[in-house]
Amino acid sequence: MDMVNITMNGQKVSAPPGSTILQAAEQAGIDIPTLCDHPVLISIGACRICVVEVKGQRTLITACTFPITEGMEVQTESPQVVKARKFIIDMLFSERNHYCPFCEASGNCELQNLGYRYGLDHWVYPTYTKAFPIDSSHKYLVMEHNRCVLCGRCERACSDLVGNHTLGLRNRGNSSMIHCDASLPWGDSSCISCGTCSQVCPTGAIFDRRSSFMGRDEQTEVVKSICSGCSVGCGTEIVTRAGNVLRIQGDWDAEVSGGLLCQYGRFDPLYEGRERVTKPLLRRAGKLEQAGWDEALRAIADRVGGARANELGVLTSSNCTNEALSLLDMLFRRKLKAPNLGLLNDTAPEQIEPKGWLADIAKSDVILVVGADPVKDQPVSSFFVKRAVDKGARLIVAGGKDNGLAPFASMNVEMADVNKAIEIAGRAAQPIVLYGAGVTEEAAGVLKKLQGKAAFVPLEPGVNTRAAVAFGFTNGFKPSAVKVLYALVGEQDCGITDVLKGVDKNVFLAVQASFKSPVTERADVVLPMAIWSERTGTLTNTEGRVQKANKAVDPAGEAKPDWEVLSLLAEKLGKRLGSSLDEISVNASRQLK
Amino acid sequence: MKVFRSHFLICGGTGCHASGSINVRRALQEEIDKRGLSGEVKVVETGCNGFCALGPVIVAYPEGVVYLSATPDDIPELVEEHLVKGRILERLLYKEPITHEVIPRMHDIPFFALQNLIVLKNRGVIDPENIDEAIARDGYAGMAKALTEMAPEQIIKEVLDSGLRGRGGAGFPTGLKWKFCSQTPGDLKYILCNADEGDPGAFMDRSVLEADPHAVLEGMVIAAKAIGAHQGYIYCRAEYPLALHRLDVAINQAKEYGLLGENILNTGFDLDIEVYQGAGAFVCGEETALMTSIEGKRGMPRPRPPFPAIAGLWGKPSVLNNVETFANVGQIILNGASWYNAIGTERSKGTKVFALTGDVANVGLVEVPMGTTLGQIVYDIGGGIPGGKKFKAAQLGGPSGGCIPIEHLNTPIDYERVTELGAIMGSGGLIVMNEDKCAVDMARFFMDFVQDESCGKCTPCRAGTKRMLDILTDITQGMGKEGDIELLEEMGEIIKNASLCGLGQTAPNPVLSTIRYFRHEYEEHIREKRCRAVVCSALFKSPCQHTCPAGMDVPAYVALVRAERFDDAYKVMLRTNPFPSVCGRVCDHKCQSKCRRSNLDEAIAVKFLKRFVADHATKPKTAPAPVTRKQKIAVIGAGPAGLTAARDLALRGYKVTVFEELSEPGGMLRWGIPAYRLPRDILASEIKDNIEDLGVEIKCNTRVGREISFEKLDSEFDYVFLATGAHKSQSMRVQGENLSGVFGSVEFLRDFNNNEEDWLSGKKRLGTKVAVIGGGNSAIDAARVALRLGADVTILYRREKKDMPAAEEEILAAEEEGVKIEVLVAPLKIEDKDGKVCGITCERMHLKDFDKSGRKIPGAITGSGFTLSVDAVISSIGQAPDMSFVPKESGVGISKWSTFELARGSKSQTANPKYFTGGDALTGPDTVIGAIAAGHRAAREMDSCIRMENGEPAYQEPPEEEIEVPFILDEESVEAPQAKMSELDPARRRRDFAEVELGFERMQAVKEACRCLRCDAEID
Repeated sequence: MDMVNITMNGQKVSAPPGSTILQAAEQAGIDIPTLCDHPVLISIGACRICVVEVKGQRTLITACTFPITEGMEVQTESPQVVKARKFIIDMLFSERNHYCPFCEASGNCELQNLGYRYGLDHWVYPTYTKAFPIDSSHKYLVMEHNRCVLCGRCERACSDLVGNHTLGLRNRGNSSMIHCDASLPWGDSSCISCGTCSQVCPTGAIFDRRSSFMGRDEQTEVVKSICSGCSVGCGTEIVTRAGNVLRIQGDWDAEVSGGLLCQYGRFDPLYEGRERVTKPLLRRAGKLEQAGWDEALRAIADRVGGARANELGVLTSSNCTNEALSLLDMLFRRKLKAPNLGLLNDTAPEQIEPKGWLADIAKSDVILVVGADPVKDQPVSSFFVKRAVDKGARLIVAGGKDNGLAPFASMNVEMADVNKAIEIAGRAAQPIVLYGAGVTEEAAGVLKKLQGKAAFVPLEPGVNTRAAVAFGFTNGFKPSAVKVLYALVGEQDCGITDVLKGVDKNVFLAVQASFKSPVTERADVVLPMAIWSERTGTLTNTEGRVQKANKAVDPAGEAKPDWEVLSLLAEKLGKRLGSSLDEISVNASRQLK
Repeated sequence: MKVFRSHFLICGGTGCHASGSINVRRALQEEIDKRGLSGEVKVVETGCNGFCALGPVIVAYPEGVVYLSATPDDIPELVEEHLVKGRILERLLYKEPITHEVIPRMHDIPFFALQNLIVLKNRGVIDPENIDEAIARDGYAGMAKALTEMAPEQIIKEVLDSGLRGRGGAGFPTGLKWKFCSQTPGDLKYILCNADEGDPGAFMDRSVLEADPHAVLEGMVIAAKAIGAHQGYIYCRAEYPLALHRLDVAINQAKEYGLLGENILNTGFDLDIEVYQGAGAFVCGEETALMTSIEGKRGMPRPRPPFPAIAGLWGKPSVLNNVETFANVGQIILNGASWYNAIGTERSKGTKVFALTGDVANVGLVEVPMGTTLGQIVYDIGGGIPGGKKFKAAQLGGPSGGCIPIEHLNTPIDYERVTELGAIMGSGGLIVMNEDKCAVDMARFFMDFVQDESCGKCTPCRAGTKRMLDILTDITQGMGKEGDIELLEEMGEIIKNASLCGLGQTAPNPVLSTIRYFRHEYEEHIREKRCRAVVCSALFKSPCQHTCPAGMDVPAYVALVRAERFDDAYKVMLRTNPFPSVCGRVCDHKCQSKCRRSNLDEAIAVKFLKRFVADHATKPKTAPAPVTRKQKIAVIGAGPAGLTAARDLALRGYKVTVFEELSEPGGMLRWGIPAYRLPRDILASEIKDNIEDLGVEIKCNTRVGREISFEKLDSEFDYVFLATGAHKSQSMRVQGENLSGVFGSVEFLRDFNNNEEDWLSGKKRLGTKVAVIGGGNSAIDAARVALRLGADVTILYRREKKDMPAAEEEILAAEEEGVKIEVLVAPLKIEDKDGKVCGITCERMHLKDFDKSGRKIPGAITGSGFTLSVDAVISSIGQAPDMSFVPKESGVGISKWSTFELARGSKSQTANPKYFTGGDALTGPDTVIGAIAAGHRAAREMDSCIRMENGEPAYQEPPEEEIEVPFILDEESVEAPQAKMSELDPARRRRDFAEVELGFERMQAVKEACRCLRCDAEID
């Protein structure tokens, strides 16, 4: 590729054609300050902090929006530029209440950093006189308009990244302010609590209610991980301080999600109210009591070892790692030859080829959603769909008027009429089909008509369902002959209570769970399991992509990661299935292939 | 086609609709029907005729007679006269505002005669809702040519060659814009018309759309063909219902005729045009914001690049032009580029439409060739400034533009010149402002507008304009600080440089341009808390008091007249003015010029009320002021400045001696102003009562350098106030000026006043035929005195009567008495016979460009010389001080105008700290009240200088006698003119020097005082 050559502050710089001055500067290691600009958002040149002087231009121009051209001469810190930047900083500080000591963002604030960088040591202009209201009606976030710099990042995130269009701008000029829908309180608005706005806000204008004032960037640690809220597998950053999780952020580098998270991923895990199981429990004389790991495992091993293969039952949720699923499969199906293994949640129908990727949604002109409700079940994928719809793609939803995407669709059809949708998709240039567990067999057959034309992406319910299916777990558990039941419940009970209703009360029940529930109450042995933040392991997302989730904090009490529990149990049963994570992971991924 | 003998074209623009044209039209039709004339006379409603101020406008053809401001009640008579009897109804005709000349035919009215209509060629001529009428006037002919004969490249070349530039304001070459877009690959392109006219006071686009929507559609089709677009949008604000309606009608008719839509004129070219209604955000007039708005989003500008020609509406290549630009295109294609570029200036071609508004006689829509001067637009077309007010500046380009002040009236208006002057062409809003507009307040108004309309996207515009507004508001409220002006300039430059779109980049223009031209007004607001236009009400109690140089408490004494407490009224006057009787007679009453009452009917007769009080009050007895301070002070010159200072200083305890060259005190009041205006005894008693009785010693017949040497003065007195006035006539610099029989007006008046007996008895003789040269008050005084001496008097003045600096009432009085006034005449040579004046040879003048005072400069008409036979000439073209008494080594500086010079930063102290000055000797000839104010100032500064030197605390005014001022205000004011002053009969006046003005009667005065609106009232 031919490079475009420019000079910046007298230094020769080359960058690919189409680069902005800002991008070229980044490559050359020249730091141009920004505020409204954000790497994942479309540049709008609003704040004017990044203005630079370009020879031949009538006015100063914004580096974030201006493309480079051959021979361009740029000055990034000329006296004129610095004067303008200082003025803009003065203006921003004078506009609203930017009195840092009271602000949650102090220390993490981009405006504050700019103030330091350009030597703002006093207010040049009178400070703000008009107080704006604070919107604290939202469950997770607070909008403090007085700290807003109107950079519009939140609005762009809400519209351009999430496709939700809740945030907008109201009023004009100096009275401009961010608002929700038609000026509703945030908590009553169409906000879906994905929290992307809070993550892009450069100041303390939008902040997380729970973790505010709990630590500045330099006081916290960040571990990259993968969300286990659904099967999309979004990249997360778990922010901790002294062994406590403060908040979860989207990982901008994440391949699948590009930094997006939804309420399930960002907020819900931190608002967990259920009681943890922190020690193994063993039923003695009809009473569930605390026990040692060894004792508890032995009790299970005894019952499992003493049962016939067809008397063994295994139930698992998909909310566990590839490693755990692999061990479950190896131990019970392969070694103990147990035939009765069941998955607690549904699965999408058999994979239809050619397989597509979630990223293909953006490139499609017709999106067909069949038997899935991503708004409810895989929210971040629904963001991709809404984004594409905003750009002009046609959305057709088959099955269910209550589908969360129905309001965005140009056409809603009954599952039985999926043919109509197929016809339209067939005429499209690049259709994509997102299908879920709700697809009827008949409909699945019809969908195949689009083979060779469309990309097919399954939207699996649950978390690691793709892997569970690959390991042969399907929703087909038969309670009749079971005498000993091993249930890997994990963090969610996934309807196991209903399943257990069909299981005889005398059946020995061993449960591997993180939280106390009616299931653990009913169990004969309960093995405490680490939760999402406490374990390392791999997860397979709905596209089949294997991603590594990392431990951020130590497990509560004596809880252990799902795979470790199974590995220990296998040992007790005299089956060596590997003891280190790496070993198990390698086996698991080999199996998955 | 049916033929009518007469057409009545009635204007149906929004302006005329507002002034009632719909009802007039209905009445006209009814009247015509009633008289059975409907087969002969056709009534047509046209678009805006342009003469909006005098609407509803009716033009009767074939005669071309224009009837203005008609109401339905006028219609029966109009029809009777014009259509039945065949006579013109004179009372509805146009009257020239200054000469009152009646002009029946539209094309003879200067407003129309001086315009050049291209864009507006159909205004007031066609029915905009009838496409046939547009077609009959070449509508769509240019389009037909473009579609059938020309390739896109040819169209673009023609438009490029024509020199047409964007009329939206920036002036970007239209052809170039089209070229860029046509070169951008893409199947889908858009042609957009910007009809989002948002400047306050601008209505060009609206009028074009209302008067000739087809011209815009035609231009859009041609442009669409040039760039390859098949979809067009007209973005028009919803506040323009009539324009929207007419556009709608025009689009439908054009589609019906195959002139729009699919397969236009069977050429296979398609263009559909949709009208998009804007919600009225100013920023949506900005190109990219407009596109964002059409896309259905909040109208906010986008950064460029990408430019709309590459990626515009919905990311597709688009061309956006303004209404007026498109309206030019059809005719350019039809008549050719060379036809078009022959009009205008070197780099600005064609014509420009201006919405002429504000303080101008002919408010309306004008189209003139580029390069027409601002003065021609304002004066020749606009009819000048109404109400005898002075032009101050014209705001060009609305809130994004700047003002062009009086000294640039000769500026040819084109893109380059206007930009050089700090304004912008803008879309053509031209707001004329008179002297009653405050520059700072105007800047504040526009800043308020832009900060309100700023979209809020970029920081400099959003926050910067707000901060600028805060500073401007502070200044207008008297809270301005030193450094504010510089800060505003700095902020303005950065905002212009760093803002995202045109709105922010031009928002500071009104501030920067007013600072550029009216910096002194900003400084007055900040330093003196003074608003010379009397607009910024936080700075003053009442306009009259603020305008009075001496700050007389006018509302108080007017209120006391109302309460019939004349003695108290006199005491109130005396606080600030030792000469109420004098000022009641000869003051130029600036106070009345800003009287709020004049917005309702006429100003309060402040001067006459003052005279009434002075004539009727019992004067308080003045006790001698005790001498408490050791410094001795000399005042040179017993004129109003000197005597005022002497009084103030005596009241502060100083021993004051006044030296006067002439035999009696009074200065110009005694020696310049004739007794019929200011009786001698009145002046003398006021000097005695209010000055001499305090203990001030006045030494008459004592000229410095003659009776007392400057050195002696210097050694005997600690401080000296030089108030010697301006008593020397300036030279006319014509041949024969030194002949006997040629007088300077002040010298003549002084001699007359000194030797009245000799003059009246005929011992001294002036002449039988006298020419007075000049137009000031002194010229009028000399002429009226000469008249009273029995001469036949002609005043020769080189400009027009309206330009004469003398007070209007004085000119009128002189004419009543029989003084002849010849205007546009200048002397060339004074003829003599045996060394005595026998005639004066003059030249006729004609008026050329404007000078810096906003008056036209007279220039001689070659070969127009003529000789008037006269035997005396009085020259009165100005006076200068006589500085011969001041020795060079005195250290007192004298300017090249022969006036005193001040020490840096002082208002009355000269370079020699012992000498102070004021009045005419400092400023050149000025007013009595100005001299009184100067006297006060000098006394104050001299005293504070002495106290400062002695390390004493500042002077504390002794407590004033408490005079309670009643506050009575009528609930409602009924319109009533100023009370008339009765005067001696002109015939009687010529015979002697009796006072001409007779003064108010008691009840007349009280009634007049009741007219006061009490602007000084503070309501909590």
